[in-house]
Amino acid sequence: MNATTIRVLYIDDEENNLLAFKASFRRQYEIYTALSADEGLKILENVAVQVIIADQKMPNITGVEFFKNIKNTFPDPTRILLTGYTDIEALADAINHGDIYRYITKPWNDLELHNSIKNAYDAYKSKIDLRNKVAELEKTNDELNRFIYSISHELRAPLVSTMGIVNLVKMEGLFNSSGEYWGLIETCSNRLDYYIQKTLQYYKNNKTVSEHTEINFKKLVADLIELYAYTDKDMKFNVNIIQDELFFGDAFRIEVILGNLISNAIKYQKETELNKHVNISVEVQPTQVHISINDNGMGILNEHLEKIFLQFFKSKINHGSGLGLFIVKEALNKINGKITVSSNAIEGTTFKITIPNVK
Amino acid sequence: MLIDDNEVDLKINSKIITITKLFDEIILCQSGEEALNYLSRNKNEEDKIPDFILLDIQMPEMDGFEFLEIYKGLPKSITEKCVVAILSSTLDFGDIKKAEANPHVVKLFRKPLFPKELEEELNKHL
Repeated sequence: MNATTIRVLYIDDEENNLLAFKASFRRQYEIYTALSADEGLKILENVAVQVIIADQKMPNITGVEFFKNIKNTFPDPTRILLTGYTDIEALADAINHGDIYRYITKPWNDLELHNSIKNAYDAYKSKIDLRNKVAELEKTNDELNRFIYSISHELRAPLVSTMGIVNLVKMEGLFNSSGEYWGLIETCSNRLDYYIQKTLQYYKNNKTVSEHTEINFKKLVADLIELYAYTDKDMKFNVNIIQDELFFGDAFRIEVILGNLISNAIKYQKETELNKHVNISVEVQPTQVHISINDNGMGILNEHLEKIFLQFFKSKINHGSGLGLFIVKEALNKINGKITVSSNAIEGTTFKITIPNVK
Repeated sequence: MLIDDNEVDLKINSKIITITKLFDEIILCQSGEEALNYLSRNKNEEDKIPDFILLDIQMPEMDGFEFLEIYKGLPKSITEKCVVAILSSTLDFGDIKKAEANPHVVKLFRKPLFPKELEEELNKHL
């Protein structure tokens, strides 16, 4: 930092003070002086000063009043108030209304004033730096938002067209006309679509502010089962929901959490299992809800239990995106929920969740 | 009536709908303006007014929501006959909420369009 670039405006009706100030500090700062508030204002309009020093006792206006007046027009420069007498009321007023950084008594001590100006300049600089950083972050955020929006449209639209073509091929009875190629295109398209959807879900979970609404678990679970179960008609669902209490929570995140767990339970079944089933139980209490989702699917290896909530963790047998459970965990973190998992050959895999009721 | 700026989707969806045999005639429009022109041009010929409109959201110049703004000001002879649904690939929360909140929209279909979903919805209205 080059000290000469610090521009200081000093306003005082006593010319001797201005001269003394100049004499002491002209080597360190670029100094502007004014004999009245009006004159000071004119300088402010033309020069970007970083530190303003004003005398409290001036004929037409006090230093505090001057600072109050320029609070909105020149909010950035850091203010220092100089006064010849210790006036508690002026001091209180200065702090409460004038946004004043420091209060110095006259006659001033050169070293003290010098340090104050330096600190005032640092405060000014931090304020401006912070503002620039905030603006920069807002811009980045905005770009990210637009990027995500364009993923959800531009990237997905042609993919969805491809899926439409595959459907059409099926409807026209051509699906098996080229060996397994159409089936492979379908699998790849679905996987890409799944990945895009999960990425957006993850992003939305990070961005969206929690909104608390009433949640009816009976309806929510039924909707989710309907949404995911069409892939497997043999699956049996045992749903047991006890909700005598109203439950309030973040509907979006709770839906994401249950949706991912239910779809996993459906997806990761054993091919050979004849009696595929998923047990879902929900118990709403005044302070929280306990949810348990159990399936008799392929299960999770013991050594994997700790890793399944990590981003991009996938086991060799299943071809997930490695995002589902990670998103579940992230979403639960946002709403102060907890999750545990156990898996064994007899009881199958069970996820247990607790989410606070925020009514 | 299908309104979609994307020619490929227009072709795919009109084919899918043709195969379902749910409709006798399909009117294809590549923009909201084209659709509005068609509707106002034929406002006095009842049998040219579509029973069902499938509207895309993201279109250049006039998007689906802007189309709906103008559409709702059309003569009753049109708006009372047409059932409007949205057909979009959107996953955007804002778009979905906006579509659900619009009183003129009976349903938001996600692309790709499944004949079964379309048929179920049609049975409710026609």
